[in-house]
Amino acid sequence: MKKSTTDNKDKRFELLRDLLLTEDREKFDSLRKEFILNEKLQEKVSPFVDEKILDLRENFPKYFGDKVTDAIKIQIRESQDEVVEALYPIMGKMVKKFIVAEITKLSDSINKTIKEKFSVQEILKRFFKGKRNDAGAVLEEVFEFVIEEVFVIEKESGLLSGSYSRGSNVDKDMVSGMLTAIKSFAEDAFSKEGQDLENIKFETFQLSIRNFKTIYIAIATTGVLTQEIKEKLSDDISNLAEIILRDRTYLSEEYRLNEIIIRELIES
Amino acid sequence: MNLKNQLELMIAKKVLLVGNFGVGKTSLIRRFVLNEFSEDYISTIGVRVSKKVVTYKNEAIKLMIWDVAGTNADEKIPKAYFLGASAAMFVFDVSREETYVTLEDNLKMVKELSGLEKITIVGNKKDLLSKEELEVVVDKVSLQIDLLTSAKEDENVEDAFMELTAQTLK
Repeated sequence: MKKSTTDNKDKRFELLRDLLLTEDREKFDSLRKEFILNEKLQEKVSPFVDEKILDLRENFPKYFGDKVTDAIKIQIRESQDEVVEALYPIMGKMVKKFIVAEITKLSDSINKTIKEKFSVQEILKRFFKGKRNDAGAVLEEVFEFVIEEVFVIEKESGLLSGSYSRGSNVDKDMVSGMLTAIKSFAEDAFSKEGQDLENIKFETFQLSIRNFKTIYIAIATTGVLTQEIKEKLSDDISNLAEIILRDRTYLSEEYRLNEIIIRELIES
Repeated sequence: MNLKNQLELMIAKKVLLVGNFGVGKTSLIRRFVLNEFSEDYISTIGVRVSKKVVTYKNEAIKLMIWDVAGTNADEKIPKAYFLGASAAMFVFDVSREETYVTLEDNLKMVKELSGLEKITIVGNKKDLLSKEELEVVVDKVSLQIDLLTSAKEDENVEDAFMELTAQTLK
């Protein structure tokens, strides 16, 4: 009888346990199935995801470059003030760095030249040559005067008779024509009767023009044009013009004229 | 003789292209010439220079073509642009009467400034008119028209410049 009572108790306990835990078990089974499914899915999908990530990493500029650039452009355009504010100190530093580097180069060059020019040997040489302008000598050395281009041009037609170029590949015939047109325009617009255009300056270049009756000679130069060089150049141009105007066959024989330009202006 | 020397010995000639604004001078040059300066020069200083090497009667000739903007007496063009030219082409627009109605006066002015006796007369934009309409224009123009051209259709452009080249050698 006692045994029967104990059995009954166990059954009731089982029943109660079933009643209370059925729902939890179902949830547990469902979660377990979901977890297993996820694991299986992960196993299958993972290689594709890795591959895609690698592809994205390698080809990001190709896929999104334009979009990113556009977005940055829009962002910069819309917040110009902030961008300027952010870049200003960096640019300032860069400019400062560049200027310092250039000044250092210039300073080294001046020091080198001063050292050379103020050696006893050089001072004596200049003294005997009669050159007393030391500053001029130093400047001349640092900013070396170079003849870049020479054009001998027929005054009225603007046709090129002869030329010299240190390395430019521009079409000299076209330059002669346009230079003559610009010269005519400037003379017509600004000068009084009989006056000619003599100088054009642009950045580091200067164009000196010497007018004669039927031709003009234009010389493009860089560097410091000291009074001394100016006088020498003027003499050289006069000599060249004299040679050409005494023998006008030079004007129709370009190669001969080019040779005489080199001899009189470049090698002298 | 090498090519460089040949080029250096080539005859060079300055030729003028004149005529009212918008008659197609620049288009004619663009058809004929490849290397040229920017057209901005025309509006800035009233002229633009182009270059073309042509062969005429087995002789290579370097043409320096000065495209002069406008020809009316009221327009301020430096007289120097007309100096030293070996030939000139007066271009008018066949579709616009105002560009050829004062042709005689304009030619007289160009002749006086350049010292040239003969000027090649060219009527451009022939593609805009029918054959009959072109005949009416030819009758209306008191002077002998040398060529009718179309820069757009590339008709007679080469011939016009060859005529101009021939004039430089006369």
